[in-house]
Amino acid sequence: MSSVIWYIYEFARKSWAEKFVAARSEQEIMETPSRWRNFPEVRKEYCIACGACTAACPAPMAIKLVRSSDTSEEEGITYPVINTRGCIRCGFCAEVCPTDPKTLLCGENHLIREKFTILPVEKMYVMDEYLCIRCKKCLKSCKVGAVSEVDNRMVIDQSKCIACGECIKNCPVKGAIKGVFISNVEEQKEIINLVVNTLEKRIDEDQDKIKNLAPEEIFKFDYPIDELVEKAREIIPNDELIRDTIEKITDRLKMRIITWDDEKCKSCRLCVDECPVGAITYDKDKGIERNANKCLKCSICYQTCPFGVAGFYVARFLLTEASLDEGVIHVTLKPSQLPIRS
Amino acid sequence: MLDALKDVIRKSSIHVCLINTGGCNGCDIEVVALLSPRYDLEQYGIYVHNNPREADVILVAGAVTEQWREKLQRIYAKVPEPKIVVAIGNCPLSGDVFNQEGSSVYAPVSDYIPVDAEVSGCPPRPSEILAAILSIGPNAIAARGRQKL
Amino acid sequence: MILPIGPIHPSLKEPLRLKLKTQGEKVLSAEIDYGYVHRGIERIMKGKTWQKGIYLSERVCGICSYIHTQTFAETFESIAGERAPLRAQYLRVLTNELDRIQSHLLANSTYFKAIEHETLFMYMLYLREPVMDAIELLTGNRVNMGWNVVGGVRMDVKQTHMDSIMKIMLKLESEFERYVEMFEKGPLVGLRSHDVGKMTRDEAIKARAVGPIGRASGLEHDLRENHHTYKDHLDLKVIWRKEGDNFARNMNRFDEITQSINLIKQVIEDLPEGDIRKKIDIPAGYGDWRNEAPRGEVTYTVETNGNLIKNISIRTPSIMNIDACAKYMFNDVATVSDAVATYASVDPCIACTERVVIVDESGKTREFDYPNYPKI
Repeated sequence: MSSVIWYIYEFARKSWAEKFVAARSEQEIMETPSRWRNFPEVRKEYCIACGACTAACPAPMAIKLVRSSDTSEEEGITYPVINTRGCIRCGFCAEVCPTDPKTLLCGENHLIREKFTILPVEKMYVMDEYLCIRCKKCLKSCKVGAVSEVDNRMVIDQSKCIACGECIKNCPVKGAIKGVFISNVEEQKEIINLVVNTLEKRIDEDQDKIKNLAPEEIFKFDYPIDELVEKAREIIPNDELIRDTIEKITDRLKMRIITWDDEKCKSCRLCVDECPVGAITYDKDKGIERNANKCLKCSICYQTCPFGVAGFYVARFLLTEASLDEGVIHVTLKPSQLPIRS
Repeated sequence: MLDALKDVIRKSSIHVCLINTGGCNGCDIEVVALLSPRYDLEQYGIYVHNNPREADVILVAGAVTEQWREKLQRIYAKVPEPKIVVAIGNCPLSGDVFNQEGSSVYAPVSDYIPVDAEVSGCPPRPSEILAAILSIGPNAIAARGRQKL
Repeated sequence: MILPIGPIHPSLKEPLRLKLKTQGEKVLSAEIDYGYVHRGIERIMKGKTWQKGIYLSERVCGICSYIHTQTFAETFESIAGERAPLRAQYLRVLTNELDRIQSHLLANSTYFKAIEHETLFMYMLYLREPVMDAIELLTGNRVNMGWNVVGGVRMDVKQTHMDSIMKIMLKLESEFERYVEMFEKGPLVGLRSHDVGKMTRDEAIKARAVGPIGRASGLEHDLRENHHTYKDHLDLKVIWRKEGDNFARNMNRFDEITQSINLIKQVIEDLPEGDIRKKIDIPAGYGDWRNEAPRGEVTYTVETNGNLIKNISIRTPSIMNIDACAKYMFNDVATVSDAVATYASVDPCIACTERVVIVDESGKTREFDYPNYPKI
């Protein structure tokens, strides 16, 4: 009973009666606020085909770049096309679009211009001032104006860079612009360790040949790269990253090799005290012993030893495009020119 | 005769069944929002029922997950003829963000049951869903007729 | 006999299979089958940058989509050892509370639908629409807002936005009381809600119930108390009740809506000036973060690898609450229809739940082993 009274009380209210009499769908259901993100609107004429929108899009198959075919009057233009069946209307493409004015419009998201890069990039591009020849080809090729000249030096502005890699393609000097992977740091370290350790092991196997090298002689051999890549794939299955890392470290790698000839040793024990880490020990029964794992390869023993027990060599590595096709690393080993203290 | 009469009555009252085949729930709650006094789905003679056995229109929301692959077809078979399927949101159309390496979705839904209309968006606004349901509307159901079994 | 309900059923909004063991009308025990919306989100997120991951985390759950992005962002900020600018923190609170209001209103409306009280169901949805408008006005979408980024929020607010949100809040506050009174004092609703689906405090602890469900059973625990923005700048008091029945759970949610309106007013009044976003470089590392979602506690555990996500584990509140419902609340439920109402009062969110659930052969489910976070 009380609920009946309740409902009578409900329906007797004035606002209810007014609404009941003038019942209609209100206009507000079709209205959208200005921030409401519809499917992005594409303005073809501003597109620079940098690919930032496709790289940023979180949904697969939502956005792709297409190129219209060339006609007799003008070249075809490249522009993004939104697939409405895949687009999640997040507006991220409009946010990262580097053109001014923006190619993509979406709600108010295209008004966002941050002072730093918001694109999900894997690589960071840096300029090596030492190698740069100031040809300004990168400056001309950059689509978003991230490369500029400051005090006669070329500088990459990280806030504008969209990591498209166009500058590296146009750079005539190898290594003047570097694309550094900023992710997977741990894995990169592991790959570097792997490469260095395997190469060192391989050289150790040839110790007998190295010992007999004449002072001016050079020892050369090729090391196949496939095995390394196969092992690195177990660490991280990203071929681009693996090749990039191997290429970069072999470019700079200079390995010191210490050889040890026990037969020449006269147990004078000069080297035992000189070794800074105690890698060389003397035992009455066993004589002089060198612990290769502890060795820093500082070459002090080589400089100290009057009998030439220790040998000191320097190995250099080369991985060019030609050798990449062959799938080998060129290794060159030569005796060090350091003088022997006596 | 009886079937013709049923069709006439069906024209003015559509029963809708909502099936979430593995989406994020967003489209589901937008359909619930359609029931609210502002959008008032029932003024158009549409009643959200969630019962496949008495539905005329099936709203599918969600990329098809492992469990739904067979069950979706079984539910579709249970719906009486004539029936119409509306795919709501991007999940049934393309799998949305879930259709990537490592996921366990089997989009699109049209691989399993025929889809008559689609609303894209993640999620679509209630007004967009409303427009889609009304556009296929009662006439489409009647025009489709009964399939001979 | 065993009465199966679902996965598609008039009373269920989301796919889930309830197996009720009944004797006549009385429910003896319940068993729950999950797995209908398992999409493998954590697996997809691996090896992606956070810029892409944040959109995936948003789609873990459509109802409480906001808190997932906030927790995701705050996890990354904690790995970097930084915090978002203060203005961004305030805006996060604002959006979070708006999201909580709409989620609680939806949860209560589902309950009223389950007890077949259409009037209140409609009123709840009627109240919810202006809140959705406020969210859309502020962020640009009604459900998946795309509002958070690591290091702050996307867009700044203008005074006009604040004014219209304030207007919506004042209107909501003035109308809200009447509907709460209808539920609290209305005769029929009360009869179907009091002393149904009871869970005591001890049982709530055993079942690890969280959020409004735990608080309605006397667990005085709200993670917002520990969150730095709420603790340092805002006035918040935990709302809890002793009864532990359907009525208490719904009333607890109603009270929290009032509290959220208060918080929003505080935010609008003393919103500080300043940046809304700053650059955060993410180092390789490991971090976790917990936040109070509308349904309870949500935890993100992330292992990063420089810029990329190496491992991620998401723990959402619904699974504990649904288990609590199956194990304890169904014990003294008189009829099957009350069982469905009790289930609705727990505010289950299936889309949240289904990422890592290990199902035994016996059909018993156990959740992801949290402290020994394994590599998957």
